[in-house]
Amino acid sequence: MEGKGKGKGYAVSHEGLRKLFDLLSSEYELVGPALKEGVISYKVLRSFEELPFGCKSMELAGYYAVEKADGYFTYVRPSNSLKTFLHPPELTIMRVKRENGKLSFEYEYPDKKYCFFDVRACDLSALKVLDMVFLHKNKNPDPYYASLREKVFIVAVNCTNHTNTCFCTTMGTGPEVKEGYDFLITELDGRFLLEEGSERGRRLLESLENKEEARQEDYEEKERRLKKVESSMKRAFETEGLKERLYGRMEESFWEPVGKRCLACTACTQSCPTCFCFDLLERASLDVSERVRVWDSCFSPSFATLHRFNLRQSVHSRYRQWLMHKFAYWLDQFGTFGCVGCGRCISWCPAGIDLREEVKRVAYG
Amino acid sequence: MVENPYFLKEGRVLKVVKECEGVFTFHIATEEPAEPGQYNMLYAFGAGEAPITIASVGEGYVVHTVRAVGNVTRSIDSLREGDYLYYRGPYGNRWELERAFGKTLLILSGGLGLAATRWVFERAMESPVKRLIHLYGSKDYESLLYKEFYEKWAKGAEFHITLDRPHPEWKGRVGLITELLKELELEKDAVVFMCGPDPMVKACVKTLEEKGIRAENIYASLERHMKCSVGACGHCMIGPYFVCKDGPVFRYDLIREYFERKEV
Ligand SMILES: Cc1cc2nc3c(=O)[nH]c(=O)nc-3n(C[C@H](O)[C@H](O)[C@H](O)COP(=O)(O)OP(=O)(O)OC[C@H]3O[C@@H](n4cnc5c(N)ncnc54)[C@H](O)[C@@H]3O)c2cc1C
Ligand code: SF4
Ligand code: FES
Repeated sequence: MEGKGKGKGYAVSHEGLRKLFDLLSSEYELVGPALKEGVISYKVLRSFEELPFGCKSMELAGYYAVEKADGYFTYVRPSNSLKTFLHPPELTIMRVKRENGKLSFEYEYPDKKYCFFDVRACDLSALKVLDMVFLHKNKNPDPYYASLREKVFIVAVNCTNHTNTCFCTTMGTGPEVKEGYDFLITELDGRFLLEEGSERGRRLLESLENKEEARQEDYEEKERRLKKVESSMKRAFETEGLKERLYGRMEESFWEPVGKRCLACTACTQSCPTCFCFDLLERASLDVSERVRVWDSCFSPSFATLHRFNLRQSVHSRYRQWLMHKFAYWLDQFGTFGCVGCGRCISWCPAGIDLREEVKRVAYG
Repeated sequence: MVENPYFLKEGRVLKVVKECEGVFTFHIATEEPAEPGQYNMLYAFGAGEAPITIASVGEGYVVHTVRAVGNVTRSIDSLREGDYLYYRGPYGNRWELERAFGKTLLILSGGLGLAATRWVFERAMESPVKRLIHLYGSKDYESLLYKEFYEKWAKGAEFHITLDRPHPEWKGRVGLITELLKELELEKDAVVFMCGPDPMVKACVKTLEEKGIRAENIYASLERHMKCSVGACGHCMIGPYFVCKDGPVFRYDLIREYFERKEV
């Protein structure tokens, strides 16, 4: 029977998931969430057992703790994001050699073949946003990002829980996964609904043994579970017309209150799945110099330096740059919000600044 | 696979001219087509890159004028004839010279900003511009650029120089460029191109508007911190614009809101 997803659906047991995991890890470098030092983060996984099944993060502005819960995919998106793998914090883009006053250049593109196992709706949207930035809305598409991105196999997971900092329903990105995956997992009572989303996904699911065709009740249960999470999440603010309202609120007085609290520590831009800003560094020895791309942040004190003077001296002007970029400039640049509502920046802000409250205060206050 | 935007091209240094202390002009062999207003990213081994405007072009070469202010520019300024320069580009948009056809074109250059207006000025002298005026302000006599061209420019246009500070050798104007601008008789539909430090641009726009010139007819080439030059690193942003690819030349009415506001 036709599923709610794009393709055919199956129901499998916990064992079926393990089988899929093993099939994928024989072909891909498998990246998924794991509990490490008390935090659920994306990392390269060696075994199915590393998945943090039955763990749940309790998150508030500036607060994070992991608790136990009943079920498997009980957690939400991990603490770090997938940009760590596609737009690495540090990447050598070129090696320059100097010989007899002439230079030669060597560069290679990263050849890792990743499978992202367990991507939530918000993070899937974030990948789409990064695709706009680095590929589709850029006249000079980035070959480093492209070479990693085009190989990625995506196993998406529908959220059947949320944490307090999640606001995907506000940004219209979740909790339901709608597109952009190879196959999609929804946890049901005692079994898992798998829905194919691509040709690769279809072939993989087809090769899996011990599966049943999904029944009407499975889809109904999925709907019920998604409805339940969705209805338990409050809409944080109105996004319709938000850009225009923000453009009308650039006056300093709107930003000074948050400037007093913000530490300009860059935790938000680091944890953000779409913040893409980078610096290019030169790491030189006598005759070889590496050109290294590293994450940068609009909160850094040298970000907008012109003639030894940072144009954004005040912290509130940096916060304005960040928030205006996410909710206003981004739309004009890439045709989408730069925020997907994953709430990481809220959980990881040491000052406990809640982005949602700031948007409300500035735009609607 | 897409082209690598960071790939560097090689160009032989054909000629070096010392303009003044710490400022050199280079002729670099290239076949790369470019337009007035655009810039290249110049690379210095072990130091990095700097955006440098295309000051002019000649048969098979491009002209760059570089002031040594830091690691990259100091290293480039040590290049001599026969050396190789590595660069990528051209990047950015161009001056919309055709908007001034049949009208008055006023060019305002402050300091090294002259490098960014020189080529379009040279083009304008050969274009159907009705009246061509170029005001160039320099902080002092020692910093004057492109001295060998003044005579020729004075023949092809109303070319005036003003120095912030007097000098025994200097017989011309002393005072800020805005003072010179205030005295100028200007048609209301004149088109204005300018490049200079941010405060100069702001002051000139104010004076121009007092003279009835509309912001839609004023264009400014902006300077911002740039790393990638292809709209990916985020450093050059001013409001929703990336100076590296949406600029560096902006119609003033479009950027005023961001440019005039503090710390945007
Ligand atoms: C579109 C454009 C065209 C330019 N054209 C010219 C030109 O024709 N001739 C010329 O001499 N200079 C030009 N500049 C300025 C030149 O790019 C900077 O002086 C140069 O990047 C400084 O690099 P550095 O490594 O030598 O100095 P650094 O050691 O990096 O720093 C010296 C000072 O310059 C500032 N700076 C560093 N990088 C940049 C940057 N990418 N953009 C702006 N400021 C920066 C620093 O903040 C610091 O204050 C242009 C800048 C732009 C944006
Ligand atoms: S923001 Fe939505 S999609 Fe993302 S983890 Fe939270 S509930 Fe899931
Ligand atoms: S210089 Fe990198 S975005 Fe403009």
